[in-house]
Amino acid sequence: MSRQVMSPTRESAKLLFLAVIACALTPTMYAGDDQESPPGTADTERTPLHTVIPEYPKIARRDRIEGEVQVCFDITREGKTRRIAVRKSTHRLFEKPAIRAVRASFYAAIPRDLEVPAIKACRTFRFTLEPVVVEKEN
Amino acid sequence: MKLRSKICCHGLLATLLLALSPAVMSDEAKTVIGPSNIDLYDGANALMAGDGEEGVRRTLRGLELAQGARELIIAHSNLCAGYLLTNQPAQALVHCNWVLERDDRHWRTYNNRALVYMRLERYEEAEEDIRKGQELRPGSKNLKIVKGMYLDETKPVRTKIEVDDRRSATEEPADEPPGDESN
Repeated sequence: MSRQVMSPTRESAKLLFLAVIACALTPTMYAGDDQESPPGTADTERTPLHTVIPEYPKIARRDRIEGEVQVCFDITREGKTRRIAVRKSTHRLFEKPAIRAVRASFYAAIPRDLEVPAIKACRTFRFTLEPVVVEKEN
Repeated sequence: MKLRSKICCHGLLATLLLALSPAVMSDEAKTVIGPSNIDLYDGANALMAGDGEEGVRRTLRGLELAQGARELIIAHSNLCAGYLLTNQPAQALVHCNWVLERDDRHWRTYNNRALVYMRLERYEEAEEDIRKGQELRPGSKNLKIVKGMYLDETKPVRTKIEVDDRRSATEEPADEPPGDESN
């Protein structure tokens, strides 16, 4: 009688594969003027626990500037973000708020017994302006 | 929030531009120490301090004693600002027009008249004055602020920020592991 046993190496490879898939499926989050911070929902060991939404820069809003910033960073075992750097940016005005937001965000910590390679993540912030229809007083 | 109340108080003073005291000194009187028209000088200072009524009162007195085209333009320009501060936009418009009829390159007055037009809800004319002002003085912070106020009134927007983590899985691995990896 033969029993099929999954080797530890194969099991961890499967875990890693699942983690990568889950990470890729992390939903996009939105925030408006109310600046609410939705909780992370990804089913991964690098689950965002607290995602800080940057503030829309006042000057950018005033001058009706929209843009996009991609920030890349490392996630420590404790879930903190570090080595934060701007990778792509359409306007410098958005860079500082994006960096500050990533710095203040954190992920779920990795259990001590779990071996996970270093993770470098990237987060893209899209700053847009939507027209508002205002009803004028009579 | 209506622009009327927004411009009325603190915001207006920051966006109004005054032709201030050093300019009041006449070009000829090089040896005179201090302003040649003390009422214009004090009026401008009062307006800068946000005291619209005192500013208008002193500037009107200064206007009576004004000598030369330069002092007249300064007086009328400051009266335009003063009347706007005291919530009399129609009166302010008269003085802004007076200046621009004589000097169509006075960008400060375009700035102030744009605010007057906005108070009067004459938005097309406000836009035109902002455009002219920016042509004469590109990069003026004040004109940018006034334009922002104009856009907020005519084309209000809501900010939206999208956070997208989806690409994180496709990024290349870190160059080196974070320092506190080995816990």
